Parts: sequence; structure tokens; C-alpha cells
Amino acid sequence: MIQILVDTLLRCSDLALIALGLSMVYGLVKFPNIAHVQYAMVGAYLTYALHALGLPLALALLAACALTGAMALAFHLLVFRRLLRAGPAITMIGSLALSMLLIALCQGFAGSFPRMFTLPLATPIRLGDASVTLTQIAAVSTTALLLAGFALLLFCTRAGRAMRALACNPALADASGLNASRITCQVAFCSGALAGLGGGLLALSTGAHINLGTDLLLPVFAAAILGGLGNPLGAVAGAFLIALTETLVTNLNFGWLYAKPVAFLPVAYISAASFLILLLALLFKPYGLFDREVRRV
Amino acid sequence: MFDFLVSSLTFGAIFALMALGLNLQAGLAGLLNFGHIAFAGIGAYGTGIAVQAGWHPALGAAAGVAVAMTLGWCIARLGKQLAADYWGIATLAIAEIIRTVATNELWLTNGAQGISGIPALFDDLPGKSGALAFLALVVALAAAAAVLLRRVAYGRFGRALRVMREEPKLAACMGYDLMSLKSRAVMAGAGVTAVAGSLYAHYMSFVGPDYLLASETFLLWTMLMIGGIGNFSGVVLGVVLVQTAYTLVPFAKDAFGFGSDIAGALRLGLIGCILLGCLLWRSEGLLPEKMRKMP
Amino acid sequence: MTAPHALQVDSVAKAFGGNRVLEKVGFNVRPGEIVGLLGPNGSGKSTLLNTITGFEAIDAGSVTFEGRRIDTLSAHRIVQAGIARTFQLPSMPAKMSVAEVAMAASVAHHGIWENLFGLRAAREAEARAREQANALLYQLLLAPVRDQPAAAISGGQKKLLGIVCALMAHPRMLMLDEPTAGVHPNLRSDIVGALQRLNQAGMTIVIVEHDMHFIREVCHRCIVLDRGHIVADCRPDELASNERVLEAYLGGAARKPAAGATAGPVLRMGAA
Repeated sequence: MIQILVDTLLRCSDLALIALGLSMVYGLVKFPNIAHVQYAMVGAYLTYALHALGLPLALALLAACALTGAMALAFHLLVFRRLLRAGPAITMIGSLALSMLLIALCQGFAGSFPRMFTLPLATPIRLGDASVTLTQIAAVSTTALLLAGFALLLFCTRAGRAMRALACNPALADASGLNASRITCQVAFCSGALAGLGGGLLALSTGAHINLGTDLLLPVFAAAILGGLGNPLGAVAGAFLIALTETLVTNLNFGWLYAKPVAFLPVAYISAASFLILLLALLFKPYGLFDREVRRV
Repeated sequence: MFDFLVSSLTFGAIFALMALGLNLQAGLAGLLNFGHIAFAGIGAYGTGIAVQAGWHPALGAAAGVAVAMTLGWCIARLGKQLAADYWGIATLAIAEIIRTVATNELWLTNGAQGISGIPALFDDLPGKSGALAFLALVVALAAAAAVLLRRVAYGRFGRALRVMREEPKLAACMGYDLMSLKSRAVMAGAGVTAVAGSLYAHYMSFVGPDYLLASETFLLWTMLMIGGIGNFSGVVLGVVLVQTAYTLVPFAKDAFGFGSDIAGALRLGLIGCILLGCLLWRSEGLLPEKMRKMP
Repeated sequence: MTAPHALQVDSVAKAFGGNRVLEKVGFNVRPGEIVGLLGPNGSGKSTLLNTITGFEAIDAGSVTFEGRRIDTLSAHRIVQAGIARTFQLPSMPAKMSVAEVAMAASVAHHGIWENLFGLRAAREAEARAREQANALLYQLLLAPVRDQPAAAISGGQKKLLGIVCALMAHPRMLMLDEPTAGVHPNLRSDIVGALQRLNQAGMTIVIVEHDMHFIREVCHRCIVLDRGHIVADCRPDELASNERVLEAYLGGAARKPAAGATAGPVLRMGAA
């Protein structure tokens, strides 16, 4: 039981930051950015590179996150803003092209073999019948802190209010004096930074590899859509739901269905479970479970 | 060198068939199908499963086409109110689910190992004639498909699709059942692509779950966008260009002594660059869709 | 049993969220009539048009056409049932010529297979569609622009193209959404002429309009909507003296004109 909770929390924290960034920036640019998950991959590789160069881990994460944010901003200014004039469909295909480029760059520079972090070996801590490592606890707590901080930003500061206003009604927000273009740039930077950080934290356990982004694509989109695109905290709830489903699907004993003592779904079906949820979400609740999304789907 | 040329041309013709099927959906009807490769995979697996079960491969191919068209019908009906780009993500999810099933259901698809030993067509011809005969077959099929689909595009059905693509309300006002138009477009594209998948399985003598990777759909999309989406001649041009870029990379690898990682990265990077460049500077492709003068 | 009415709208209600746009709207249209649908902005005219033609669903009530209920049908089925419509702000495909858009609107039915193999039936149907499209384009003065991209013609010409597309469907009732707004005055009189000719040939027409002169010239009857309710159903010349109509347009500030003065401070029906 505790193991299920622990697994869910771990998986949720893997997805939450990236889904949050995706949902937040979608509210302003209104197109599904497939390259967003590759920002996580880039963040992972940058963290690895900086850490390997000698920076302490925390600093490496921070620096990688800032660099990824800057890169995301650059792409927004140079590529997406231009493509958006031709419509969201073309921009989505553009983000696809950008994904390919990013994967190619990482593969060219770092090779296709996963790069594992050299972290001090620590004995796992036991919590009930589950075991977690210190690194995992650190990652989850960092994520939780960031989410709390972000919620504060969104609901208690002027900047956050401006972001929400812009997401709801760009024309009105513009007319009220909010600088739409500046806020969009800030959000693009933040969402890229969050994705990079999410990728870096994820890579602590799985290593930095070129499929990191692609493997996250559908689960992250599922989480963001479930929470309602443009509703960043909803994306976190969506991430939790996805994580819960994935954990349950492979940990539940379906033996009773087949009159056998044990029957588990193959581990590979974890991903199929989140894809299925994504499909169901798109079919029945395209505006998210909380129905508070910025209408465009 | 000769073998290499024949092989490149054969792959090119097979990809052309798949790209033409995608053009019917994406170019004419404006349907962003990002799971298109599933149709090819189903065609390939149809042939493979039939061979494994001891049936005639043509039966398997026909079954593959039928299943692909049924799947096409289903995804066309998905989420009636879904905007184009979100429908695209849904199709991506479906293709991934099919790939996961193919990787795991050993009883059906032999899992990740795939099905090998699919007989090549024209095996019994002497020497190189077998390969040449196959090449002639696929090129003829691709050419026939290009011509036929072009006729469809400029006929009533294609016209209806094009109105629906840009002004769905106007199309509804003209009395067109939009759902039926979409279904027919996707089913037709699915059928053509399943045939191509079947041929691919015969050519490689093998079918595996990697045929269903999302990157394959992206490759087809690149061919479409570079050549000219909506224009069937443009699609063929796009296939030729991308296939050329793709096959030049192994030459570069030998000439400059890259590692295989760099070669893979170069392929992917080249395609990504070309696609991005096209979108930024010539978003309609090299041969844009031309407006037709009516007599 | 004969259906004396072409169109029968009964107690139709429609709300968007909490906003009740149409409430207990009911009226009839007789075959061969030209009916104008008027009302200030926000009165629900476009929504009413959308509900009748199947672009919006109704919350309550019924819509019957030629004795057959159509409120449950989707838009394309209603077109096939005999009602064609135009849009207030027509937007046209950019990559198709005017002539091609007109041809796309033809009702000749043949599918992929016939097209593919050039069967006789398909070729004949294409020829008929071409003739019909060319004739209509000529009648509505679009012949000079037939080879231009449909999105590149002027707004007024797009409205005409919308009417061409509607007529290609051989409808028995036409519903036009502000057909003369933004149209060049010369073109306007041609539209009036065309509509009158169609009506003489038996077409029932319902027009949503603001232009009072147009209404007076063309319509047999007027129905006035105000905030989702029907406030008048009368002849055009009776409009100016109808108090409820004045109230709808002037917002309750309408007063009876002083004795001897001409009717209506704002609604100038007599002078140009």
C-alpha cells in the first residue's frame, strides 16, 4: 500500500513540473508544443554536463534550468511567434521539427548511450514496505516546494494575476494595459526552466538519455489535458491521476479475473494506460476534468 | 552501387505510396493524422501474421487493408468537436497503443522480435531480375496511386474535402455530411498505406513493432511539408528529396568517418532542419497547391 | 393533410449558459412569402437563424418545415430537406476559385469510385453542375471574377457567392443573413431584382436585415424580435406606427408624436 503511494508520488513529481510548464504556456500561445518535453531532455543533459564539469549538484540543476529557460525563450521568439501567424496546426508541426533537431543535437554531442550521474551511493530508507533513496526524497521535495511557490506566484502576486488574465482573455488584458508580449516571454522562459528542471530531477534516477523527452510526451500531454490546458495547477492534479493510474495498473493483481493466483499486466502496458487515459480525456472531457480550461480544444 | 540504387528507389516508391495516403488526409482534408504509420504497420503485420499462420500472404495483405480501413473509420469519428491539432495528438496516442500491443502480444505478433521469413515477391526470378521486378511493381503502384488520387482531388469528392478543410460551415451549408467526408478520406488513405506496409514487409522479409514508431509518421510528414502539402506532384518531390538526404548520410559517414551515433543524429537533424526551414520560409512547400481554373 | 405553412416555428427557446437568447419564439412562414426578420443588435436574430438551419440546437419547442420536424436534424440534412442559408460574414476558401466553390455546391451525387474511373454518369453530372454554376454566376454578376481566388473578392461579392452556393442546392426556402450589409448600392438593386425573380418563381425567402428600405422594397411581412421575444408580426408599412417596435429600437423612450407631426422621430420611413 505504502509502495503504491510512494511510486505514485515519485512518478507524479516526474511529470508535474513539465506538465505545469506545458499547461501554463499553452494558455498564452494556444498551440500544443511537442518540443516542450524535449526541453526536459535538454535540461537533463545540461545538468549532467555541468555536474560532470565539477559544479555541485544543486548549482548544476539551477544553471541548467536557467539555460533551458533561455533556450525556450529564444525558440519562442525566433520560431514559434513567426509560425503562429500561419495558425496553430503549422506551429505544432514546427514544434515537431524542433523536437527532431533537439534530439539530433543531443545525440550528436552526447551519444545514444544514457549518461548516468555519479552520485554518492546511499542506502535506501525504508518507509513501511517501500524503500526510497535520499535522492528521490530530495527530488520530490524540491518539486513540491516549487509547486507551492508557483501557486503562490499565480494567485498572490500581480505577475501571476497578469498571467491568468492574459490566458483568459488576451484582447481584454491587452486593452487593460498588460503587456501581452512581455508576459508571454516571461512565461515562455519560466515554462522552459520548469521543464529543464523537471528533466534534470528525472535524470537523477534514470540518467540523461535521448528518449527522455519522447517517453514523456504522451503522459505529460495527458496530465495537462486532464487538468485542463491553461490551468497549471490542474496539470499537477492531472499528473497525479496519471501517476496513480500507471501505478495501479501494474500493481493490481488481476488474478481474480482469470482464476489464477497472480496475474499482472506487463510493465510495458504502463504507457498504454496513460495513452488510453489521454484518449478518453480527449473524447469525453477535452476541456479537462475541472472544466476550467481556456477554450480552444 | 547498383544494389544500393535499386534499394533506395524501392524504399522511395514505398514511402511515396504512404505519403500519398497521408496527403489525402492531411493535404486535401486538413486532417492532422500523426498516427498515420499505424496503417502501414497494420498492413505489414497483416502479411506477417498470415505468413506465420501458413496462409497465403495476399490474404493477409487484404486483411491488413480491411483492418486499417476500419481503424481509419474509427479515428475519423473520434471526438466530433475536437480541433485539428488535438485530434492529431489523439491519433498519435492510438498509434502508440497499437505499437505497445504489437510489442507485448507474443501470441499474435511474436512481440519485440517480430515476424521474419516473409517471402519476397518475385523470388523465383534469376539474379537481379527479382529485385528489379519488385522495383517496377512498386513504382508502377506509386505512379498509379499518384495519378488516381490527383483525379480524386480535382473531382467532386476532392472539391468537397477542400471546402471542408478551409470553411467547414460553408461545406455543411452545401449539404455535405462532414463526418462522412472525413471518414472516407481517412479510410481511403488508410487503404493505400496498408498496401504500402504490406509491400514493405515483403521487401524486408520482416515485420516488427519498430515499424510503428512515431518517428516514421514524422518522416512522412516531412516529405509532405517539404514537397508541397495538398499537391500530389509536390508529395512525390518531397519523397525524392527526403529519401536523397536520408541516403546521402551513409555516404557522408563513410567519407568523413563519423560514428553511427553521429550518423543517426545527422539524419534526424537534417530532416528537422529542412522541415523547420520549409515552415519558416515556404510553409506551403516547394510545389504549393495550385488553384485550378474551372472550364 | 395539407401543410399551409412552409415553415412553422413553435415556442423555440435557446440559452447560452445563463443567457436566455430566445424565449418562446413562434411564427409561421407561408409558401411563396418573403418575410423579413428584424430587431436591434442582440435581439437573437442570428441565433434564431442558426437554430432553424441546424447550426445550433434548441432547448425547447419545435421547428417544422413542410410538415416535417427539422429541429433534430443536423445542418447538412436540413439543406437536403430544402432550406439553404447564407452567412452574415461569409468567409471563402483561399485556394479555390469562385467557379470551383460554386461547383462544389452542386448537389449532383456521385462518389469516389465513379470519379476515379470517369464513369459516364459522373461526367454528365459534372457537366450539369458546371452549367448550373456558370448560369448562377452570370445571373449574380460574378462571371467577371469566376477565376479569382474566392477569398480575394470583395465582401459584397462574397455575399453573392454565398447566395450562389445556396441556390445550387435547389432549395425551396432561402434564409439570408443580412444580404445587403456592406454591399455596393449598385449591387444592392441587382440583389433585390434577383430575389424578386426567385420569389415569383415560387421561392420562399426569409431575410434577416437592418436596412429598412430593403425591407420595404422586398418583404411581404416583417417579424420583429427584441431580446429574444417576438414583438411584432405585420406588414412593413405598419412598422413605424407599431409601439412595441419603436420601444424595441428606441428603448422605452418612444413617445406618441405631437398631433399633426409626421410619424416617428428616428424611423424615417418616408424620406430617403
